[in-house]
Amino acid sequence: MAASGQSTDPNTNIPDYEYIDVNTKPFHIASFRNEWLSRLKPSDISYQQEDEDAFDANFAKEMGLGPEIMSQLKSVCSVDSLRCHPEDQQPDPEVVPPNSTLKTLVERKKRQDYKASLKITKNRHDLYADELERLTVGRKPSAVADMIPEGEIILTINVYYPATYEKFCYVRPHMTLLMTGSHTLAELRDGICCVSDLQVCGEFSNTPDIAPDFISKDHYKSSFFFFEGVFYNDMRFPECRDISITTVEWAKSRNFPPYSQAKMEETRFTDLKVKVGFPYLYCHQGDCEHLVIITDVRLVHKNDCMDKNLYPLLTHKHRIVTQKCAVCHLFIGRWFTTNDQFAPSDPCLFCDKCFRMLHYDAAGNKLGDFLAYPYVDRGAFN
Amino acid sequence: MDLNRKLVKSDCEELLSRFQKTDSVRFEIFSNTWREMKFSHIFYGTKKREKRVFSRLVLDTASSFFLPPYSFQIRVGGLYLLYSLYQCQTTSPPEQIRLALKDWEDVKKFEKDALNAQHHDIVYILHRLLFLRAFHFTAMPTLLVFQKKRKVERSVQREAFIERTSRPQELINTEMLEELSNIHELYEKLKTSVCSTTNSSVNLSRKDLIPQLCSTVMNFYKLQQKDGSDDGEEDSGEGTSSQQDCSKRAERLAFIKSKAYGEAPEACKSRRHRQVEVDLTSNEAGPSNMSGSTRISKPSLKARTNENVHISGDMWKEASTTTMINCLTTLDSAPEKQKNLKRFKWR
Repeated sequence: MAASGQSTDPNTNIPDYEYIDVNTKPFHIASFRNEWLSRLKPSDISYQQEDEDAFDANFAKEMGLGPEIMSQLKSVCSVDSLRCHPEDQQPDPEVVPPNSTLKTLVERKKRQDYKASLKITKNRHDLYADELERLTVGRKPSAVADMIPEGEIILTINVYYPATYEKFCYVRPHMTLLMTGSHTLAELRDGICCVSDLQVCGEFSNTPDIAPDFISKDHYKSSFFFFEGVFYNDMRFPECRDISITTVEWAKSRNFPPYSQAKMEETRFTDLKVKVGFPYLYCHQGDCEHLVIITDVRLVHKNDCMDKNLYPLLTHKHRIVTQKCAVCHLFIGRWFTTNDQFAPSDPCLFCDKCFRMLHYDAAGNKLGDFLAYPYVDRGAFN
Repeated sequence: MDLNRKLVKSDCEELLSRFQKTDSVRFEIFSNTWREMKFSHIFYGTKKREKRVFSRLVLDTASSFFLPPYSFQIRVGGLYLLYSLYQCQTTSPPEQIRLALKDWEDVKKFEKDALNAQHHDIVYILHRLLFLRAFHFTAMPTLLVFQKKRKVERSVQREAFIERTSRPQELINTEMLEELSNIHELYEKLKTSVCSTTNSSVNLSRKDLIPQLCSTVMNFYKLQQKDGSDDGEEDSGEGTSSQQDCSKRAERLAFIKSKAYGEAPEACKSRRHRQVEVDLTSNEAGPSNMSGSTRISKPSLKARTNENVHISGDMWKEASTTTMINCLTTLDSAPEKQKNLKRFKWR
């Protein structure tokens, strides 16, 4: 097993706190997995549910219990013994039971009453979150080949938005992705959607139709992750450059502890040695810097989303307020104009439809004098 | 959310303390307590996504009772609580109980203890949870998001739930004492055989070591028992208690300090208007304990001068009667104004 070869001290791969409730000491993810697997029976992590009777029979045999004691034990420990209401009167689980002594319920009742007193009954964010949950929880694959193997690692990764706006002190908008241990870092990079990948640089008032061909993502493909002193560069394409070399050399010239480099596409999560809960860096488009925190590492469970193809699996997404078109106030702004005689303000935002109706004739010829830049809204991924 | 967590915790503690009073580890007794408190209802009234979030919270809270430093009985209660919560949750598919790798050894040891004591229901329920795949085998007990807390809140553990240390008693048992006395005897014999002359320098070892050791342990045990009746656990040599000692000491220090400041010597007359401020913040034990914003809201300057500039009674009267301005403004004008008012009244 890899675990025995990897470490002389077995404890280094059992994660423990570096700072309590903040982050752990670094540990090797594959060895961590092996530590768990060496402790568990295969049946503990199997997707297949055994038979109830077989379980009881096994237990009785193991403990050396007679059938009489066993049946007694079973009835004592059954779920029915926990029921708090008569069998024929199932209360509505959506309603807080009245006259409860539990403090949690007293508080919940208070909160529900308060919410009922508000005029707004629906919360858009809740709706989105419900929708997302429906798409992710417990999905089974259509083909057996797409099934995640038993004993695989599932990582929960929070990717934070770059700190470019003032509100960042109060809310930490982020997206949460689930990845498996056999994913490479490059797959995580592809899973992260950031608007700076979609930016289009340049003025396109004469040729609005070709603007989408100049997305930054296709032009500047370099990026890197930084985990525990190692820069993992994206080198999948010939035009990728090593953009971390600047930092590495800077550090070298200042007598900093040396940083090493590796390739993103060749590194799997199981190869990493990381701290859980510790902020790391993802940098792309030269200077768009995201914090990346691995919040959880665990073994896969049968209720997880089983379809390999759905990973990286988005489980949380922060919704950002979008800037709307100045004309229709309905669609998200796509164009940004200056020196524009048709516009109510300078600069001004337009959605694609309004922009074309106002600035071009039916044949698509430019009317008047203005400068137009493609605009990508922060909330484009909502 | 934080408030919710506290409430859930106190509910769980209430259930477990009731369970503790029964002095039992039977699931039957536990389920009685559960029904008595109608604990299943804790899941009722949550909607859709809230459900999942709440299940997560409840299971996380409950799983802390399943692990040390709690006593065996509370841990059994914690296990039953986890099982019952897991079975009663309204979320579908159910949320799992998070179990960290570092806690696995504790769970195994717990299982062994239960097995040795022939507590079949404990082992059955533990196995049943494994059979139901109720666990997530994780790296850490909670999700970590590098949340540094401004206020360091010490996680308060119920002292009554925590097991008393029994290491001294465990270490010094009768077998060990016998062994020790044997060795002692042997050693003495050897010594006398080596040095035939009774030299005082050889008689360095204690003769009454074994009885003394025994009585010390007995004393310690008695002391622990006595302590247990009032507040207990001064003696458990664990990190938490020493921390509490520290904070107790700090409190005592702070008390003395505040007393000293409270009886501040009277300032000389010229400085009497400067009120001595008793520094409230220094009463707190340290920066970690200080609540984030203890801003003392001062009264306005006007209010403070009014309060502090005391001109003693007679002086004030004298001053108010004799000065010209006073005469002009207060004494005559007041009735005059009243007259004016009367004159202006509409009839």
